[in-house]
This record gives sequence, structure tokens and C-alpha cells, in this order.
Amino acid sequence: MSVMHVNSVIIRNSTLFSLLKHVKVLKPCSNVLKSLGRTRHISNTNSLNKIITIDNDDDFMLKVMNSDNPVIVNFHAEWCEPCHILTPKMKELIEPNNNVDLAIVDVESHAELVHTFEVKAVPAVIAVRNGLVVDKFVGLVDANMIENLISKLDKKKQT
Amino acid sequence: MAIPGFCFRRLIYPGYNRIIVRQNVFVQNVNFKNFVRSFSNGEAPEYDLVVLGGGSGGLAAAKEASGLGAKVAVLDFVKPTPIGTKWGLGGTCVNVGCIPKKLMHQAALLGEAIHDAQAYGWQLEPQAIKNDWASLRQAVQNHIKSVNWVTRVELRDKKVEYINGHGIFKDPRTVHTVIKQGERTLTAKYFIIAVGGRPRYPNIPGAVEYGITSDDIFSLEKEPGKTLVVGAGYIGLECAGFLNGLGYDATVMVRSVVLREFDQQMAQIITASMQEKGVKFLFKCLPQSIEKLPDDKLLVKWKNACGEEFSDTFDTVLFAIGRKALTRELHLDKAGVQVVGEGEKIDVSDEQTNVPHIFAVGDVLHKKPELTPVAIHAGKLLARRLFGGATDTMDYQNVATTVFSPLEYGCVGLSEEIALNKYGPDEIEVYHAYYKPTEFFVPQRSIAHCYLKVIALRNGDQKVLGLHFIGPHAGEVIQGFAAAIKCHLTVPALMSTVGIHPTVAEEFTRINITKRSGKDPNPQSCCS
Repeated sequence: MSVMHVNSVIIRNSTLFSLLKHVKVLKPCSNVLKSLGRTRHISNTNSLNKIITIDNDDDFMLKVMNSDNPVIVNFHAEWCEPCHILTPKMKELIEPNNNVDLAIVDVESHAELVHTFEVKAVPAVIAVRNGLVVDKFVGLVDANMIENLISKLDKKKQT
Repeated sequence: MAIPGFCFRRLIYPGYNRIIVRQNVFVQNVNFKNFVRSFSNGEAPEYDLVVLGGGSGGLAAAKEASGLGAKVAVLDFVKPTPIGTKWGLGGTCVNVGCIPKKLMHQAALLGEAIHDAQAYGWQLEPQAIKNDWASLRQAVQNHIKSVNWVTRVELRDKKVEYINGHGIFKDPRTVHTVIKQGERTLTAKYFIIAVGGRPRYPNIPGAVEYGITSDDIFSLEKEPGKTLVVGAGYIGLECAGFLNGLGYDATVMVRSVVLREFDQQMAQIITASMQEKGVKFLFKCLPQSIEKLPDDKLLVKWKNACGEEFSDTFDTVLFAIGRKALTRELHLDKAGVQVVGEGEKIDVSDEQTNVPHIFAVGDVLHKKPELTPVAIHAGKLLARRLFGGATDTMDYQNVATTVFSPLEYGCVGLSEEIALNKYGPDEIEVYHAYYKPTEFFVPQRSIAHCYLKVIALRNGDQKVLGLHFIGPHAGEVIQGFAAAIKCHLTVPALMSTVGIHPTVAEEFTRINITKRSGKDPNPQSCCS
């Protein structure tokens, strides 16, 4: 478990991030190990690699707006029933795709982002590529729509 | 206030005292109309409007004012209940009032509907249908949190600053608050007091330690179980009503009369309908004490009108004995704002207090209906007058309302007692009728309490003074008639309106029997 291929990063502080920004292979270090330890129940799979956790606005800029990969940003709330259906679905569908990442933003802790992206209802999903919002949907949608969104982002990336 | 002896002179002008210290001018007189407090660098007030209270009235005024270009801040703070319940932005209605109440009322109605469904052919075992309190509570709380969030987003979008702190007046132009990040002092051109109220506890042993209120019931961790509701106003009736509907043993303890502020004949019919549904009533009783038993149940002792003592055990005791305005906590004396009566409410004229630049809306007002739409409407109109040059004032007359008891009671206009008092029995005509909702026949639901009455002037154009309706969807039924009353509804107009069939609302268009005639108001059959 000392080396993993990651397409996204679990960040707990920005100094760590700046270290890892240009690193394709994740070297174990205390912060990462600690965070992995916290998620031990997921075991040694890649399932956690696709999910970006956003800690603050700078984080968002770096990991989503300035990301090489297209990112699907899922605005989520604990009190929102449809979110509890959509978010796991999104995780499941983005999982196998190496080119597209998923960021989950809790609307209660990120009022600025909610305001910036004019999120008026949850769940809200926006697709970001090269710092631009290329697609958006609000509300619970079926797996087809999510898959279309992912493949749309993926296709463009490959061309 | 103590000012260093050097560099000041004191001038007395008619109407105000002025103390000049170096370049500072402090004008100190709370009754002076165009009061201005200047600071050392001559600052104007920081805000155009500071609203104390982020509930129905406060938020409506704040958003409207901001939309008209004012710089607005809202202070909202919830002091936890004795058992620690607290909630987010939105006020009583959103968190511990109208919204969760209606949802739980709906939950109870659905329970009834499930039982009726079998008669309509649905294949199910009604006996096996039970309500899970935890699921209901979670669903209700999720909705409330979503409304809290939308409220915050809306405030942000409308550029209203939201401060989660308890504001108190330091002087007529300054409010001080302590927040997480430290302290804030806000000065404003205008203030609106919209702090609402909270439930009262009685002064008996065990009330605060073991009793809960409507502040707690909608987020109660453990299921309520066998509940005693002390208080027979609309809050008490509604709570007992939905608890009974959800399957819990519910008892209402009444001190004097049920629904004291409402038409008493309708109140009696509502009481009878609730008793028919299984809610127990203890009339003319007062609780004496609450003790906790070793098995965690509550032993309540009470006395009736004859002084006889009784006791019983309950799982939950809910006090709904009235609400008090949160005016004392504001240090209104520092602002010079007067309060009236035991309830310490604020008497206003077009929402203006005795201090010209300080206003109030909502439940804090003296002798005004304590209803969300009233606060919202008054708040909006006030903001338009302050910042939009409008002149429309709030009309507090003929405000429609509904008691969401299991069989609902909706009304608009005068009660029969007030009408008789105001005009005398010779000038009043009361039309009334019992009716049978079509949907009740199949499941054989009781129609004994489906009743309505129209109170009107007997002479002249026979203007309608009040409409009262008990039955399903009472709120929906009465709403349209509230608009009709605003348009000066008369009995001839009502009688010449063709009803929609089959509905319950159409019964208003079919009125023809007066109380005066003494004829039987029970229907013979439908459609003729």
C-alpha cells in the first residue's frame, strides 16, 4: 500500500497539497497515512482515489478550477434525501473512469462556493473543465444522465 | 456619563442636551425626532436598517428593504430550551411552529386515510400500520434544515447581512451583540424589533425540569408516548390532535375554556370532534406538580375546579399555556421603547413604537394576530414605507386563520360573540348548517362535527361579518372567502354563487337556515 496511482488527492492541509501537486505517485507520509487510516473500512481499493475533498475555497481553485482533469462537482447536503441517493450513485459511476474526478461539496460548510455557482437547490451537479462550467443539472436524475455527463467530459478530454 | 473635566462646555437648548467635547458632539435626548449621534470622525449610522429577529416578520422586512436599496443587517439568535433544543435561521414558524406542525398534522391525517383506504378497496391490514416516530422526526427535521439553508442563501443573494447573535440595545441608536468571532456594535437609521416569543412554563415544581413545549416536540429524540398537553389553545389542541393521530395516548388539560380567543360554539364542536377521535380532556383543571418516577415516567398531580386532587403517569408533559414576547431580553429601556401589559408586548401605531425610528412587527405586537402571514405582510409594507416611499399600511382586520386540529377549523372575520356584542342580536343574522362530505360516506367517517356558519348583518346589504367552518381542508376552504370578505361579501352575493360539486366549500353557497328560525340545520340528503 505504499504506492498508489491517484487521479485525485485527499487533502488535509494546503502545504501538503503544494508538495504533492506535481507528484503522480503518492508517497506515503504521515498526513496521508492518517487520512487513509481514517478510511480503513474502504480497504486497499481505488474507490477513494476518485473523490476530492474540498477544505476551503483555495482548495477548490486548485483542485477543480485548475485541475488537468475535468471534475464533476456534487453539491450535497446531509438533510437532503435525494442527495443520499445521488451522491453514492455518482461515486459509483465515476469510479471506473480515470479521466474524470468527483468533488463533493457540503453546502452547509461552503457558503461561498454555493453563492459563486448560484446553487439554489440540492442536489446540484456542475461539470468543470479547464476552469469553465460546461454542464449543470439540479435534482435527482437517473443513471443515464450521469453517465452521459461523464462520457461527455471524458470524450472531450481524449480529443 | 463621565467626561474629562477639561475641554468641554455644556449647552442647553430647548428639546435636547448637548455636550461638546473637543470635536465630538453628543446629542442625547431620546425623544428628539431627528436624533443623530456623531462619532469623532462624524460617521453616519452603519446601516440603514437593523432587524432584531430572523423570523417571518424580520426576514420579510429585511429582504424587502434590501431590495429597495437599503443596507440591512439581521440579528438572529435562538436561546436553547431547558432540555437543550435549538434551531437555525427562520424563526418560530419554520423551526418549531407552522411548518413542522403542518407536517405532523399531515402524518396523522395520512394515518386516518390509510384506515379509510380499505373501504375504498385498497388491500392492506390497517391494524399492522404503525407510525415510526424516528422516521417522522427525521423527515420533518430534514425539511426544516433545508428551509434554514434556503433562507440563508436567500439573505446572501439579497445582500442582507446575517449575524448569529443576540442583540441588545445600548441606546436608541445602537445595538450590541456578542458573536463567535467577538463583539459587534451596530448603529442604524431604523430598527425593527421582530423577536417574536417563546412558550411559557407554569410556576409549579418539575415544570422546567421535566416538561417540554412546542419548542421541543418536533425534534424530540425519544417517541412521545402517553402525553399530557397542558393548555387548550390552538397549539395545545393541534399537538394533542396529531399525537393522538400518530397512535399515542393524548390528554388535554384545560384551565378555563378551549380556544379562548375563538368562537366558543365552534370551539365546543372541535372539542367534541377530538373527543370522538380519542383525545381525552380534563376540564377546569390545573397542574400542581410533576415528579419523575424511577422508571423515568412522569407523575403529574392536578386539581379540578372543586379542589379535588388527581394524579396520573405520563411519558411526556407538554406545556402549551401561552407564549411570552422576548422583549425583556432586548433591554428596551436603554432605547426608550415602552412595553405594555403583563406580556410586555409593544404597542405600535402602523408598526412604529413610541421611539420614532424604532419599529416592531410580528408576535411582539400588542393586540395583533400572532400569525406568520400577518408578520410577513406587515414587515413588507413597513419596509416599503421606510425605503420605497409607499403609504400602504397593514390591515389587521379580517385575517383568516385555521386551527389544524384533526378535523380542522377555519375562520375569517368576527366570532358570533363579538358580532352580537358589537351590533346586538337584532342586527345580526346567523346562517348555519351541518353537512356531509361525500368522501366520508364510504369509510363511514363521522359527520357529526362537520358544521359551518355565516354571521352577517341582518339589514342593509347584509354584509358578511364572519365565516366559520369545521371540516376537512378547512384552511383551503376559508382562504378564498377571506378575499371575498375583503371585497365586502354580502349574503345575497354568497347565496347567488354557484357551488362546485361535490366539495365541502360549496356548503357556504347553500346556506339557507338561520339560527333565528330554529329549524334543524342537519342535512336531509345531498344535492337537493
